[in-house]
Amino acid sequence: MHTDARRVEAGDIPASTSWPVELKSVSVTYPNGTKALQDVSLRIEPGEMVSIVGLSGSGKSTLIRTINGLVQATDGTVTVGPHEITGLSGRRLREARGHIGMIFQGFNLAERTDVFHNVLVGRFAHSSPFRTLLGLPTKADRELALRALDSVGMLEKVWARANALSGGQKQRVAIARALTQQPSIMLADEPVASLDPPTAHGVMRDLRRINGERGLTVLINIHLMDLARQYTTRMIGLRDGAVVYDGPAGAATDADFEQIYGRPIQSDDTLDARA
Amino acid sequence: MTTGELAVPARPTNRFRTALIVAAFVAFTVATCIPAIGGIDLDVGAIVRNWRNGAGKMLQLLQPNFAFLPRTWAPMLETLQMALVGAVASAIVSVPITLWAASPTNPNSWTRITVRTLVNIVRSVPDLVFATVLVAMVGVGALPGVLTLFLFNIGIVVKLVSEAIDSSDHGYMEAGHAAGGTQLQINRVTALPQTWPLFANQWLYTLELNVRISAILGIVGAGGIGRILDERRAFYAYGDVSVIILEILVVVILIEIMSNLLRKRLV
Ligand SMILES: Nc1ncnc2c1ncn2[C@@H]1O[C@H](COP(=O)(O)OP(=O)(O)O)[C@@H](O)[C@H]1O
Ligand SMILES: [Mg+2]
Repeated sequence: MHTDARRVEAGDIPASTSWPVELKSVSVTYPNGTKALQDVSLRIEPGEMVSIVGLSGSGKSTLIRTINGLVQATDGTVTVGPHEITGLSGRRLREARGHIGMIFQGFNLAERTDVFHNVLVGRFAHSSPFRTLLGLPTKADRELALRALDSVGMLEKVWARANALSGGQKQRVAIARALTQQPSIMLADEPVASLDPPTAHGVMRDLRRINGERGLTVLINIHLMDLARQYTTRMIGLRDGAVVYDGPAGAATDADFEQIYGRPIQSDDTLDARA
Repeated sequence: MTTGELAVPARPTNRFRTALIVAAFVAFTVATCIPAIGGIDLDVGAIVRNWRNGAGKMLQLLQPNFAFLPRTWAPMLETLQMALVGAVASAIVSVPITLWAASPTNPNSWTRITVRTLVNIVRSVPDLVFATVLVAMVGVGALPGVLTLFLFNIGIVVKLVSEAIDSSDHGYMEAGHAAGGTQLQINRVTALPQTWPLFANQWLYTLELNVRISAILGIVGAGGIGRILDERRAFYAYGDVSVIILEILVVVILIEIMSNLLRKRLV
């Protein structure tokens, strides 16, 4: 990976390649006995823009977390690009995670740290721990962080503390942090659930642009049906930890959503009804 | 608004807590009233009988002998040095130990429990006991005083800051793990700036405490102003004692004012 970084610095290869994701009969049972996922199998091709929809508690977060190993599958295998995540631990798991970007509902920034160092977190897996400890990023890492900030329009805030930013700005910084990893796949767990409608659309557009320009595989957990239809091309519906829908997102009908939710559509299932 | 009966659910009663309060009350009464099982035998009569004696001492204390002041400079300086050296040394050492002792920054429960246990043992030893033992080990002077303050401060900082880290929100750590960082990288780049104000607060607090404590430590031979305080008291020179007490009071207040000013700038 170090050679990759050098070649990127020289500007002669695209930042990253896009990876497929494959789940084979994946089940997750939490230590308290909750069965969060039951026998989930699916394949996502490189460059797809996929939404995972379902009610709260249906297992969306669990599914997306098994992909980078934040949650360990109890059964089955998860493969991301060349890595079989379910068989990895320690250094090899961290190395794989280095290629998997992730953003969160709560942004998960270090609030008292400036934007620059928050974004440099994206280089952890790609730089020597020694340099990190001394606080000396390489020129290439610095460059990647600044370019990522620029690409989400947050470069001017590079020296601001994270707690001085608005919610939308925080999520953009979080996207920049993930892009700084030069990821081969991007995971988003309810990325707009804490944002007001205009800002939510802005962040969804950013994600669509990343998918379009870089051809990056993007998986988004979302519980709002209009955003899923508008911004993603494929939709996976979860109910009680099982896949109950898998098809094109734009053409999904209200009846499809009712089937996923297991109840009639309500006003808070869409973003624009709330606005 | 609707009128009529409100169906207010019954307020849950906490029998356990009530029982605990009653038990504590009973235990307190028993322990203080029955001398035979270790109660405190307060002899109010003694206070009245010794009143004349005490009043005389008080009069002497109210006449501070300011001519003695110059002789206190050097010991007071030594006290301040002990307080500062103890606080700074413990501040440096407290950082890695604290991060070891908090669960978000150290997921390994074995090392965490070991560090916590050691720190709790250090904390449970009274500072005067440390000082007495250390004076016996390394001899009379400032060194045992500094070592006592160092151990005492580590106990305070590690316990209070690691508990604050445990109870704070640390979503940023999840992001660090998701990006493939090691715990050490995450601690260095995100946890440390995040917890730095917690540390700074406790460091200033230990500095304040140290000035107060090191005034006492001299009594068991651990250097500083306490040594000369003890000496003057032994000579019944209450005018000198009173000057020393006033001086300690002024210094403690000054340090507190300074650290309050610093604290405001930190947050
Ligand atoms: N760490 C955990 N321990 C135990 N149960 C959990 C944990 N995380 C989630 N769950 C449970 O697993 C189920 C799925 O949760 P989650 O994946 O968070 O769903 P979603 O993201 O769709 O709301 C829920 O019943 C939830 O309560
Ligand atoms: Mg969730």
